[in-house]
Amino acid sequence: MNTPIIDANVQPHFRYNSEIRRYLSATHKLRSIPDVEQQWYQAPGGDYREDLYGDGYPGSDPQTVARHLFTDGEVDYAVLNPLTRGNIADYLLNSRICAAVNDWLLDRWLEPDTTDRFLGTIRVNPEDVRGAVAEIERLAGHPKMVQVGVPMQSREPYGKPMFEPIWEAAAAHGLPVAVHINGGNGVDHAPTFAGHAYTYPGYAAFMPLNSFVHLATLIIDGMFGRHPGLRFVFADGGYDILTPLMWRLDTFWMSMRDQTPWVDRYPSEYLPDHVRYCTSALDGPTDESQAERWLDFTDKADLLMYGSSYPHWSTSSPDDAVAGLGSTQREKVLWRNACDLYGIAAGVEGSLS
Amino acid sequence: MQRRPVCAIEDLPPGSMKLVAAGKFGVGVYNIDGALYAIANYCAHEGAPLCAGYVGGTNEFAPEEPGGLRHVREGRIARCPWHQWEFDITTGVNVADPNKRVRTYEVDVADGQVYLIA
Amino acid sequence: MTTVESVKEGREGQEEGVAQDIAVTIVDTDVHPLPVSAEVLKSYAPAEWKDKLWPTGNAVSVVPHFYDTPDSYKTMSLRVDASPPRGGVAGSDPDFAAKQLLVDAGVSIALLEPMCDAQLPQAEHVLKATHNDWLADVWLGGNNWHGRWRGAISVSAQDPPAAAREIERWAGHRYMAEVLMTPQTRGIPFGSPHFDPLYEAAARNSLPVATHLMGQTPFELIPIYPVGNPAHWHDFFASWPLLYVSHLMSLVFDGAFDRHPELRVVFVEGGFTWAMPVMSRMDRIWEQRKADLPQVRRKPSDYVREHVRFTTQPLEDVNVAMYREYIEMMDLGEAIMFSTDYPHWSYDAPDWAIRRFPADQREQIMRGNATALYGLPSTVKALPGEQPATG
Repeated sequence: MNTPIIDANVQPHFRYNSEIRRYLSATHKLRSIPDVEQQWYQAPGGDYREDLYGDGYPGSDPQTVARHLFTDGEVDYAVLNPLTRGNIADYLLNSRICAAVNDWLLDRWLEPDTTDRFLGTIRVNPEDVRGAVAEIERLAGHPKMVQVGVPMQSREPYGKPMFEPIWEAAAAHGLPVAVHINGGNGVDHAPTFAGHAYTYPGYAAFMPLNSFVHLATLIIDGMFGRHPGLRFVFADGGYDILTPLMWRLDTFWMSMRDQTPWVDRYPSEYLPDHVRYCTSALDGPTDESQAERWLDFTDKADLLMYGSSYPHWSTSSPDDAVAGLGSTQREKVLWRNACDLYGIAAGVEGSLS
Repeated sequence: MQRRPVCAIEDLPPGSMKLVAAGKFGVGVYNIDGALYAIANYCAHEGAPLCAGYVGGTNEFAPEEPGGLRHVREGRIARCPWHQWEFDITTGVNVADPNKRVRTYEVDVADGQVYLIA
Repeated sequence: MTTVESVKEGREGQEEGVAQDIAVTIVDTDVHPLPVSAEVLKSYAPAEWKDKLWPTGNAVSVVPHFYDTPDSYKTMSLRVDASPPRGGVAGSDPDFAAKQLLVDAGVSIALLEPMCDAQLPQAEHVLKATHNDWLADVWLGGNNWHGRWRGAISVSAQDPPAAAREIERWAGHRYMAEVLMTPQTRGIPFGSPHFDPLYEAAARNSLPVATHLMGQTPFELIPIYPVGNPAHWHDFFASWPLLYVSHLMSLVFDGAFDRHPELRVVFVEGGFTWAMPVMSRMDRIWEQRKADLPQVRRKPSDYVREHVRFTTQPLEDVNVAMYREYIEMMDLGEAIMFSTDYPHWSYDAPDWAIRRFPADQREQIMRGNATALYGLPSTVKALPGEQPATG
C-alpha cells in the first residue's frame, strides 16, 4: 500500500511490573499496584501475543514496537494509549498511577522518538475529577499528546454530569477522549448486563459493547450538545451494534423528547461531529462480500479508524481491518479519519506527494 | 371536501374536542383558548387515532430553570395515544421532527355554529 | 374497522355453532393481559399468601416504574385508546382486547404474557403460579371459545426446580404455548447450569422458553448496567437489548444448547436487528479462541439460527428501503416473529409493521415462524365482524 496508514490503537507496556515505581514519588512508591498483565478476565494463555514475550512484556521496547509497526508493517503513525492496571479503590492512587504512566510514556516513548511517529494519550482517572482536570492541564500542551484516555470501566456512564469538567478540559484543548477497556478502574460492576461471564470469550466479545451506554448518555444527557468540540473515541470497536441501537435511540426520541428537550435533533445526528471508533478483530461481517455495504449503514465509514490493538492477542493488520471495503472507505479508515481527528496533516501530505 | 356543521359553539368550550366523522379516519376539532383548530385523527407514525390521546403542553430546554426545562404551549399539544408523539394542534407539525406532520383542516364559526371544511 | 362495540354483544347475536373458520394470517407473539383488579388476582393465590404477596399500607401505585416512560403518570405505559368501555385498565377485558386486537387489528392468534415479579424466590414462584391460574381461568377458559388466545406459563427464575414443577403442572394445557421467565436474573446469565431444571422441563414438553424485559420489577431486579445506568427511559430502553445480548452469548458460550438440544429461547421486546452484529462477533471470537470454548461444538451463529427466536416489536422507525435491505442482509428470516406488545404504549400495528419487512419474508414473520415454533393451527374461529379470508 502506498497510502499512509495511521494506527489509532497501540498499547505500550512497562518492561516489568515494578518499572512503574520509578515514576511514582515516595508517597506512593510502595503502594500495592496490579500487574501489567490484566488480572480481571485475563485471556487464558495471556492477553498479549505469545510471540512478543521476550525481554520484558510485549510492547515494552520502543525499538521493537517501531520495527513491527513502521518497518515490518506499513503504519506511518501510531497513537499510543497505555493501559492502567486494574481495579483500584483508592482514586487518588489511581490518579498517581495515571500520572506515572504519562511520565513514563513521555520519557520512554515520545521524547526519544526523533521520527515523531509515536503519538500519545494523557491517561486520567475519571473517578478523580479534579485530579483528571489537573493532569490534562499539566500535559495538554505537549505536542505529541493527541488525546485524553479513560477506561471503559466506570460505575457511572460518561454522559453523567460529574464528569463534565474533564470533558470540558479535554475539548478546550482540542483533545478527543479515548475510551479503552483497561484492567479495571475503581470497584467495577460485572462486565455484562447479565452478570459475570463464565468464559473469557463471553467477557471479551461483550465488553466493547458497553461503549454504547457511554455514548447514549453523552447524547441524551446533553454533554455533546453543551460541548460542540467534544469528541469521543471508542477504541475497542463494538461499532457494528451501533446501527441497531442508534436506530432504537432515534426511534424513541420522538416519544421521549419532552423529558430531555436539550436533545434537539435525532440522536444519530451527533455521531459525525462527536464520535469515532477504532477497528477491532471482532467487528465486521464474517462474509467479506457484505463488508462494503455494511459499513455504509450509519455512515460508519466516516466514524472508523484503523487500530491494531498491538500487542494484544487479537492484533489485526490494516488488511484485516479493511477487507472487502471500497477504496474511499479504505482511505477513510486507514488514515483520513484519524488524520482529521488528531490533526496529523503535515506528515501525511508529505507522504502522499 | 365539504363545509360540515359540527356543533353549536357552546358545545365546544375552550379545552374541548369534537370528533367528526369526516375523511377516512375522522377529524378532531379543538377549541384552544377560544380559537378553533382541526387535525386528522391519524398519527403520522403508525396510524393511531391521534385525537384519542391526551392534550397538554410540552417542555422546552431552558438552561436557567431548575431541571433545565420550561413548560410551554399548554393545551396546544396532542400526544398520540400510542407512542406519545407530540403534534402541535395549531399547526399539525410534530414537535421533535418538523418534517413529520398531520393533516390540518379549516374551521370557522357562523351564527353560533362550528363548521369544518373536510 | 368494525363498528361492533363489543365482541360479546356480537356473539350473543349469533346462532350457536355458526362461527366460521378463517385462515390464520397474523400471529402476535407479545400481548399483555392484566388482572382487572388486585382482588381478582388475589383470589387465585393460596390462602396463606394472600396478604404476603401484595403490599399493604399506603402504597397506591399499581405499577411501579423505575424509569419514566412517556407520560406514564397518566397512561401507566398503556395505549390511551385501549381502556375498555366497561372499565378497568387496558388489557384487563378479554372481550375488548379481542375486539381491538383480533378484530380491528386483524391478529389471528396472540400469545399472552403477563408481567409480574416478586422479591424473594418463594414469593416469586407463588406469584407466577397465581398468574398462571388466573390466566387459564379468565383468558384461556370460557373466554377462549374462539381458540385465539395462547398463554405463557410464568415461572420463577430464582427457583428453577419450582419452575420445573410449574411447567409440568401446565404442560398438558391445550392453550399454554410457552414458558415465560424474567431476563433480570440477579447476575445469573441464561447459560448457567442454574437454569437446567427449568430448561429440561420446558424442552421435554416442547415448550419454548420466552423471556421479556420487566419494567415493573422489584428494586433488586433492576438491571445494573456494567458502566452504570442511564438517567432516562430513552437511553435506558435503547441499551436494554444488551441484556439479551449478554444472555445470548452465555447461552451459546456456556453450552446451554448442547446440554438442551431441544431448547428454544424467545427474546421478546428486545428487538432483533442487533442479532446480526452479535452473531458475527460471536463467530469471530469462536474462530480465534476455540480452545477457550470446548463446550461450543458448532459455529455460534448456527446455534442462534436453530435455537433462538426474536419478536419484532418495537420496530425501528427508519427509512423503509434501508430497513428492508438490512433485514435481507441479516438472513435471519426464520427466527423473527411479529409482535404488537398490545396494549402497551409502544404498540406496533400489524398493517404498519408488515410493510417494513422484505416482501418474501412477510408471511413467515407475520405467521409462519410462530406457527412452526408454537405448533399453531392454520385456521381459527372468526369473531363477529370479521370476514373469512378468501383464497
